[in-house]
Amino acid sequence: MKLLIVEDQPKTGHYLRQGLAEAGFTTELVADGITGQHLALTGDFDLLILDVMLPGRDGWQILQAVRSAGLDIPVLFLTARDAVEDRVHGLELGADDYLVKPFAFSELLARVRSLLRRGSSTPQETALQLADLRLDLIRRRVERDGQRIDLTAKEFSLLELLLRRQGEVLPKSLIASQVWDMNFDSDTNIIEVAIRRLRLKVDDHYPNKLIHTVRGMGYVLEERLN
Amino acid sequence: MIKRLSLASRLALLFAGCTAVVSLLAGVLFNHASEAHFIELDQQLLDSKLVALRSTLQGVDSAASFAEREAQLRTELNRQPDLALRITAAGKRWFDGAPDVALPTAPGLHSLQNAGTDYRVYNAPLIAGQANSPQLTLMLDITHHQHFLQRMQHLIWLTVGLSALATALLGAWAARSGLRPLRRMGEVAASVSAHSLTQRLPQQQMPAELAELAQTFNAMLGRLDDAFQRLSAFSADIAHELRTPLSNLLTQTQVILTQPRPLEEYREALHSNLEELQWMAQLVNDMLYLAKADHGLLVPKCETLALEDEVDALLEFFALLAEDGHVSLVREGTAHTTGDRGMLRRALSNLLDNALRFTPPGGEVRVRLEDGVRLSVENTGEGIPAELLPRLFDRFYRADPARREGSSEHAGLGLAITQSIVRAHGGRIFCESGVGWTRFVIELPKID
Repeated sequence: MKLLIVEDQPKTGHYLRQGLAEAGFTTELVADGITGQHLALTGDFDLLILDVMLPGRDGWQILQAVRSAGLDIPVLFLTARDAVEDRVHGLELGADDYLVKPFAFSELLARVRSLLRRGSSTPQETALQLADLRLDLIRRRVERDGQRIDLTAKEFSLLELLLRRQGEVLPKSLIASQVWDMNFDSDTNIIEVAIRRLRLKVDDHYPNKLIHTVRGMGYVLEERLN
Repeated sequence: MIKRLSLASRLALLFAGCTAVVSLLAGVLFNHASEAHFIELDQQLLDSKLVALRSTLQGVDSAASFAEREAQLRTELNRQPDLALRITAAGKRWFDGAPDVALPTAPGLHSLQNAGTDYRVYNAPLIAGQANSPQLTLMLDITHHQHFLQRMQHLIWLTVGLSALATALLGAWAARSGLRPLRRMGEVAASVSAHSLTQRLPQQQMPAELAELAQTFNAMLGRLDDAFQRLSAFSADIAHELRTPLSNLLTQTQVILTQPRPLEEYREALHSNLEELQWMAQLVNDMLYLAKADHGLLVPKCETLALEDEVDALLEFFALLAEDGHVSLVREGTAHTTGDRGMLRRALSNLLDNALRFTPPGGEVRVRLEDGVRLSVENTGEGIPAELLPRLFDRFYRADPARREGSSEHAGLGLAITQSIVRAHGGRIFCESGVGWTRFVIELPKID
């Protein structure tokens, strides 16, 4: 997956590039709007991450150029200003998502993955699996090591989300949004409680732990072999 | 552009004008009255002289008989230097002591001026009641009267001028001292700056006309002062809130960098930094949200909402937390409204979060909905003292100051955000509390 980052602040650009590269993406970073637009149109990228305020051409103009060239690349905006008009403007021009600075890197990563996944149609799955944990989407049943685990509806949704995006660090805000449809920053520790309860049922009686806390960033479901 | 006259000079000029008009009127009236009085006096004098002349000329009916009495008449006239006489009979002058001028012939009193001398002329028949009797024309020198009247007129003009001048000066002084409260008001207004918003006009000492203005002015100062206090407290609070995490970040990073350490310690330090940074980012985001609200940029979408569904969704979200704290969550009633789902959820979530935090184990949080539209979140637990209720929605306000430092919770902006959201929807929010319960009430405008 090839990503283009157009960001004029060197420090931000550097860390975005490093973080995304370490998450497994091929990235290219440019610091001005004109080069950015040229690369966006010719570089065959899978996703564009654009800052709004750029020297040369601003993010909106690059987006316009990309869309009028008939390219359907997903575009994620980074903006320091959170004005309603900006947001509306961006969405009208065909932006796919936006993030307001300051944002958490885990949030950016989650959004990037969502955008990239959107294009590719995944085959209709009937079950999700990791190691000996298996989630049956049709019968809505969860088993681990062949033993049935009873989950509440929300616990089921939470586990489904973790399984669908296994290996990805999911920030609390994303979990709140996907499982409970709460789309605002809430710093109550509800998600912690929910994860703790899920662990109690899914992980606690098994030596091979699957749900992991990534401190300060979120939660990830993966098999960690010692 | 012509500079407008000051109030004091305007008043002084008006006073002077009024005095001039009044004294002029008085003068003109007095002048008229004295002129009428003089005419009356002259009439009486001439009447008495006529009587004397008639008695002197008693029995005269022809030029011949007149000649006999002429010497006596002259003696009589000599004794009266201000009187002149002309006697005419059938077109002939029998006697002429008058200056050679055309005299009015109609009977009665007339005024006449000749060669700088004023006369009163009086025509009467010698024999009263007889048509063809010789005519007497008496001429009385009244120059001294006229002189008096002229002096009188000069005096009047002088009085008018002087009194106008005097009232202008006195009026200027009076207006100046009368307008002193106004000037005082101006001084107070001029001395008001960001540093001295506490100054007030002495409302009781103000004259009735200015009291209302002073009250309005004081009220405005009060509001300004309040807003300014909040703003400066807000800035101070922001600085304070940011100082703690910043100082943690600084100290920790510096200590970690002073010497080489095992990798695990670096990782630990970065994690700790991350927590501080996330807290600061949350604070900045919350403040930006409030700033947007302050600038009227918080524009709610207009969706039709069944509030009971929204509340149920939120209660489901908070259920785990409530269960953990052994608190029961209850919703009763239904209500419909239009508003922004996301914003209203955020507002309610802050209230629920708050309520759960202050409900002791075994307690209850109850959400009541009434159409019309009223939404309340009530929790059991210690009540809030009445004097603290209005301050709950202040930014950075925390009922318990001990929670302030190092807590990972909201920086005390939750209720302020909720209030901004409610206001953006045209509603209001307030808090009631009693022994053992606290209730936050949101009232939203009725939908048409």
